[in-house]
Amino acid sequence: MKHSVTSQFQPSYPQPKAPKGFTHINRYWDKQQGVYAAKILPGQFYISTGGEMIVTVLGSCISACVRDRYRGIGGMNHFMLPVQRENLDPGVLSALSESARYGNWAMEYLINEILKNGGDKRHLEVKVFGGGKVLESMSQIDIGRKNIEFVHQFITNEGLSLAAEDVGGLFPRKVLYFPDTGSVKVRKLKTVRNDVVFEREQSYARTINNTPAQGDIELFD
Amino acid sequence: MTKILAVDDSASMRQMVSFTLQGAGYEVVEACDGQDAFDKAKRGGVDLVLSDVNMPVMDGIALIKNLRTLPDYKFTPILMLTTESAADKKSEGKAAGATGWIVKPFNPDQLLNTIKKVLG
Repeated sequence: MKHSVTSQFQPSYPQPKAPKGFTHINRYWDKQQGVYAAKILPGQFYISTGGEMIVTVLGSCISACVRDRYRGIGGMNHFMLPVQRENLDPGVLSALSESARYGNWAMEYLINEILKNGGDKRHLEVKVFGGGKVLESMSQIDIGRKNIEFVHQFITNEGLSLAAEDVGGLFPRKVLYFPDTGSVKVRKLKTVRNDVVFEREQSYARTINNTPAQGDIELFD
Repeated sequence: MTKILAVDDSASMRQMVSFTLQGAGYEVVEACDGQDAFDKAKRGGVDLVLSDVNMPVMDGIALIKNLRTLPDYKFTPILMLTTESAADKKSEGKAAGATGWIVKPFNPDQLLNTIKKVLG
């Protein structure tokens, strides 16, 4: 008698199609979890409607994991606020500052994609991770704390509900998010070398600090 | 005073847009979706509409179409301010009667210059 053998090491179903606009994201079969996964880097975001896991590694950056809790459509972003003069000063981050504007966009892009794919704003569930104090050369600023402050402020402003969070601290985190169920696995990277996380975030910080964020403008005839 | 109707379902985005526009001396009326904007527009006195595209209840494209049916809004500038940069969405906006398309994130100075330009 023949048995169909399913193994977490081998996919037994085809990879879901990447949503429109997300073909540049690194997607693969994750043998450890036995699920298709999408791995996002600083500055990227991804949404899944087909049961994929979304993975990222965070230092001082923040990831918001957002989903429609009834429809299982959700995604994750990965961003940090640019370092502007105003957030060198300790104290409350102005919601209207240049850096908060950058954060608003990172959040809005993610939320819009979820809504476009069938999510309902009233049913959004948000979980937040990251914001560690791990960028050594910026330790006097603690950009991680600013990132946490920003995301809290955004959630309050938008009337969203924060279902869970694991933020701050000294260690980078690996975050595995399952938008279909809302479940999250977080591993603190205490023992591994964190040079890669650090270098990636440094390079991303340089990009966003030196490039003014601005989209195209087109006037029709 | 020039009155701008700023439409976005995100409170943070409305706050940012209003702050930029009010700082430049415009009067701002905020609306949280297309339907809300349409109702407020019908009260009259709006010189320019600045609207998001993806919104609940009534989206930005439907809002343009509805506004263009009103005699008062046949020629009123309608700028879309959106995360959407796909050519097909832009064409849809143009066909519906949008005056221009601004992809977020916006630079405050460039936004104000564009508004000045379309207001003539």
